[in-house]
Amino acid sequence: MSQTKSIRVQRYLPEQEPEPFWQNYEVPFDESTSILDALNYIKDELDNTLSYRWSCRMAICGSCGVMVNGIPKLGCKTFLREYGTRVDISALAHFPVERDLVVDMDIFMEHLEAVKPYIIDKSKGRPTGESDTYRQTPAQMARYHQFSNCINCGLCYAACPQFGLNNQFLGPAAITLAQRYNLDNRDKGKRERMAALSEHDGVWSCTFVGFCSTVCPKHVDPAAAVNQGKIEAAKYTLINLLNG
Amino acid sequence: MQKPASYRPSMSRRWWLQHQHFVLYMLREATVVPLVFFAGCMIAGLWALNSGAEAWVSWQAFMANPLVILINLLTLAASLFHAATFFPLMPRVMPIRIGAKTLPVNAIVGGMWAVVAIIAIALVAYFIWRA
Ligand code: SF4
Ligand code: FES
Repeated sequence: MSQTKSIRVQRYLPEQEPEPFWQNYEVPFDESTSILDALNYIKDELDNTLSYRWSCRMAICGSCGVMVNGIPKLGCKTFLREYGTRVDISALAHFPVERDLVVDMDIFMEHLEAVKPYIIDKSKGRPTGESDTYRQTPAQMARYHQFSNCINCGLCYAACPQFGLNNQFLGPAAITLAQRYNLDNRDKGKRERMAALSEHDGVWSCTFVGFCSTVCPKHVDPAAAVNQGKIEAAKYTLINLLNG
Repeated sequence: MQKPASYRPSMSRRWWLQHQHFVLYMLREATVVPLVFFAGCMIAGLWALNSGAEAWVSWQAFMANPLVILINLLTLAASLFHAATFFPLMPRVMPIRIGAKTLPVNAIVGGMWAVVAIIAIALVAYFIWRA
């Protein structure tokens, strides 16, 4: 590791400075050095006051999201070798910053909860467990499988200008999760989800910018899910209108 | 639990200049402007048709104005650009499934362009035949 790269990290230390500021670090790197490795190096060797989140370091836990040169990225899935001389790391956009690269994701969690992201089945004939379980064919699973790959990293929220302008918008991942359960043949809870999805802050706040799908590290394609949700919301509103 | 102090970043008015993806998005949305002009032309044409020969002839003269033709050529280009950005989204929003398999994206996008080409050729052929 003879080469080094100069990295700028946006710091926010509210007890020292009321405004965020940039700080430079010189970090050794090779082909396999990820952004997260660089942050860990800074923390261990250069400056132990730096705060950031991480856990799995293999694109599964979804906790290491940061902006690299203004684009939302998973720190552990993004490599220093991909960048030239400019490497600016800052906290995930559109969320309140608590400290350095640590953001407050409460609003994201609230939106996830609002769509009831679990199987709802109150029918009489529902399986009781033990030997009596649900059945699902590969074709039935294929309908929602891609949408179930979300790791709740929030990169799509940092990529979404509509969420940036109005954080009451349910947003890409929450609507994707709603669609994931709506498409699941075991689920009977679609009606319960449609009220939240059909509101203005539901699917209709989306103008199909589509950057959410570009930045998603798990190829979930949230933009597709949101726009499938628009079709469902239109149907739901129409049926409600006809039923009076 | 008391929340710690936090800093709320605000979005700059120039947010859409920060990435090529956003610029293309704004361009796609802007295609509506020449389209509104074209729709206005069509409505004026209908009104002229209804108002008698004189109005109709002056509407035809207006449509033959080089500047109007230029703007409407721009409208055509804008509409084709909009279609080019929109067609690839269709198979993602309305995937066509046969069993556990999804119809390939290229097949659906290609199919949509084929429909556009057929309609365009049919219209041109019709007008040549009429003339
Ligand atoms: S949809 Fe993709 S970008 Fe959004 S939270 Fe899930 S994994 Fe992250
Ligand atoms: S550390 Fe878990 S996703 Fe990056």
